[in-house]
Amino acid sequence: MSTHETLFATLAVTLLGSVAPADPAQPWTADDEPEESEKAPVEIEDYYFAVTGGDVHAAGGEVLRGATLLAKNGKITHIGYDVEIPGVDYFADMPQEDRNFVTETLDATGLRVYPGLVAISSSGLMGASGDFADTADPFHQNLVLALGGGITSTGASRGVVKLKRYVEHDPPRDYDFGGIVLGESTYVSLSWSGRSPSGKASLREKLTAAADYLRVYRQWEADVKKDKELEEPRKTGVDSSILAILKGEVRARFGADDRDDLLGIARLAQEFGFRPVIKGCREGWTVADELGRAGASAIITPRSRRDKNEDLVREGGSSIENAALLHAAGIPIVIEPQSGGVNLSGIVGRDILHLPVEAAFAVRGGLSEAAALDAITIEPARMMGIGHRVGSLAVGKDCDLIVTDGDVLHYQTFVQYAVVDGELVYDKEKELFYAHIRPRAQGEVAPPEKLDAGENPEEQEDEGDGGEDPGEEGEGEDSGDDGGDEEADEEEEGDEAEGDGGA
Amino acid sequence: MISKSLLPFLCLLAVAGPAQAADILAIKVGRAETISHGTIEHAVILVEDGRIVMVGEDLPIERGIEVLDRDPEWTVMPGLVNCYSRVGLDSKGGNDSRPMQMASGELYPASEDFAKVLEAGVTTLGLYPPGNGIPGQSVVVRPSGETAGEMILADGAYLKVLARSSASSKKMIRKGFEKADDYTEKEQKAREKWEKAKEKWEKDKKKKDDKEEEEDGDQKKTFDPYVAPEPDDQATAFQALRDGELRALISISDSASYLHFLDAIDDEEFTWDLRVPVTRELNLFHLAGKIGEAGRRVVMEPTMSLHPATMRQRNLPAELATAGAKLVLIPRSDSVESHEAWLRHTGELVALGLPREVALRAMTLEAAEVLGMGETLGSVDEGKAANLVFFDGDPLEPGTNIEAVMLDGRFVTEEVDR
Repeated sequence: MSTHETLFATLAVTLLGSVAPADPAQPWTADDEPEESEKAPVEIEDYYFAVTGGDVHAAGGEVLRGATLLAKNGKITHIGYDVEIPGVDYFADMPQEDRNFVTETLDATGLRVYPGLVAISSSGLMGASGDFADTADPFHQNLVLALGGGITSTGASRGVVKLKRYVEHDPPRDYDFGGIVLGESTYVSLSWSGRSPSGKASLREKLTAAADYLRVYRQWEADVKKDKELEEPRKTGVDSSILAILKGEVRARFGADDRDDLLGIARLAQEFGFRPVIKGCREGWTVADELGRAGASAIITPRSRRDKNEDLVREGGSSIENAALLHAAGIPIVIEPQSGGVNLSGIVGRDILHLPVEAAFAVRGGLSEAAALDAITIEPARMMGIGHRVGSLAVGKDCDLIVTDGDVLHYQTFVQYAVVDGELVYDKEKELFYAHIRPRAQGEVAPPEKLDAGENPEEQEDEGDGGEDPGEEGEGEDSGDDGGDEEADEEEEGDEAEGDGGA
Repeated sequence: MISKSLLPFLCLLAVAGPAQAADILAIKVGRAETISHGTIEHAVILVEDGRIVMVGEDLPIERGIEVLDRDPEWTVMPGLVNCYSRVGLDSKGGNDSRPMQMASGELYPASEDFAKVLEAGVTTLGLYPPGNGIPGQSVVVRPSGETAGEMILADGAYLKVLARSSASSKKMIRKGFEKADDYTEKEQKAREKWEKAKEKWEKDKKKKDDKEEEEDGDQKKTFDPYVAPEPDDQATAFQALRDGELRALISISDSASYLHFLDAIDDEEFTWDLRVPVTRELNLFHLAGKIGEAGRRVVMEPTMSLHPATMRQRNLPAELATAGAKLVLIPRSDSVESHEAWLRHTGELVALGLPREVALRAMTLEAAEVLGMGETLGSVDEGKAANLVFFDGDPLEPGTNIEAVMLDGRFVTEEVDR
């Protein structure tokens, strides 16, 4: 499925790459009306966001080095090479006030572009615990921290939310609270445990009742086409959420680690025909084939440990290879850290901010890096029913991405930028949290400022003190930090002027 | 120019005779902070019948007018206006929407606090009703008087609305406007019905008149006049907001609640100011630009806060004022001590970057605007109430004392030696 998506995406890009996009901003000459004095400000219709020069990790595990990703109004429209950016590659000379679009570009040269990470569950990232459209805090500190941890979407309560931070724009844009909620009620919690035989019995009863009803209901669905008088079978005694599971509308989520429980869930799923999600699944590696055949998915925490039950002869306990073995058995795996919250005390590295670190431990146990990345992006997105919107970088999907300074699974890597719905919502250098750690070497990356036509370098030299000795200039150029930048530029301009004078 | 215009006026007064001159007092001070038009050195303020009738630099004073000469020791500024307070009130409120509840109903003139805050230079108070949700409307009082009637300057000054990041709070606001919509519709229908009935009645009457002209009998001469259906409290208050007859003070707690409030009111237009309690880690700086651009009036305490999760101090009142918001300052709490320390606290913010003139304005004229009384209070200007506070130095400097307080032209502090 995902390879098809990617193929299509790349095809689309190669086809469209050389031509200007089919839907650029309206031709601006049409807006040029004779009466210049009463010119109303052009209303902004389209917002473009482009990431250029980065190594784009597109859907399906493909890496496009030094490619461009372009998004329009929050949706990705192009990924590839020779992508033309409005306002940069065309309409570049159009005066700002005539444009009915805004283009923001992010230079990611030397950096990597990944889809925003998706946390299967978390708590407190939006400063609310339900009713997100009416209670979310788009300024919450945890939200910024989570974005800094690479997360752009998360399961919260039973629903899914997008970490839409409020960003001030010029011209100002409205904040869309409705856009926070990606989905509601994405799963039903069920319990199947050897410690509660009665619970098992009751679940089986409910499933049986729902399955019986469903059989009658399907028959009615077929019959009612012929005879419209037929009444819909009554639902009395049928658990509606169980019914939704059997209808495939929502997924059942079990919490289970024990081998026996896992086998029981696998058999139950096969018997009643649904695909269970198993959270924990620490002994899953011992029964991976059975789980795979039952169509189960797993939510695992590779670092969480469990002792073997020494009373039993068979294999048991946790294994660092769990993720790798489950994946090899065809089980979609989702990785989550031990804690879903932001923990600012205790041992660091086990909370939601360390989602990629947790995935890296699965790689240590033999899981491929691509599968580990999927386990924190597209797999959780699919599990929550939002795989068509987020979780990978492909044309048509939401422009939710992160730009990192290294492999996302490496412990040294920092998220440099995070983008949600085509809006830059996190810049490491601008937040208090990590800005001081390995700051971006701006002086080296940024090219010297060019002079526009008509600007006179000599005048600028007159304003500054011209009598500087050459030794100081050298120092100025070397320093590449924030403060030094402007100074260095000025001195370079001065350099040119001196050269001119000499000629 | 002021002195020229003053001369004929003073001559007239002199002609009118010394009897009337007794009500007139000319006050000479070293410096006057007028708020509306800057600082005047060697200012003369002419007060008559509780109002300021003339202000200017070194104005000549006609003989016969009583003069209080404190030039250059005294500095004067308009009486302080605390637009958001519950001084002297102590009832409890609910969490629902009761927009027609009036704070004036719980006014207790015998409270000792009023005299004390007046002595601290506070000549006007905006008292708000208690409770969360939409607790009701505030009342403007002068902190002096035996009865509520003597104290109240204006009732229903603003509708207090608590806006929070919660579904119930947003619903309450939306519901209010919906009720107003419903009433408008209901009223329109009732009117149409009445008009139709009237038309029919007129027709019938004409017919009857034609038929039996001579018979002056049972028929009524006129049709009953239209009576609009009675609106409920919600509809009354929210319609008044829409019509501009009532203004609102929106109490938010942080940046998020402000965005949620904007989301709740959608495109609804009415006059509203903001109230933000300055908490330790208030994050309103995120929206300073947005609030500033809109030129909103923001009611805050003169308190420094910290950048969230750090120990870095932020001067949020100054940040908002710099961004273009109209700053309104209130004492840190409703205690008498806070009122006494109000100027000092404000002075601290000024020392930390808040422009001085903004600070003085925030305690007087802008506060009066929140109460809808900017025309009559809050500055040393012709025609405004003679609410004045006299200091022995710069009002915002620590160590400066209040020498006298004048409320509606009368000194309310101890006998002033003339």
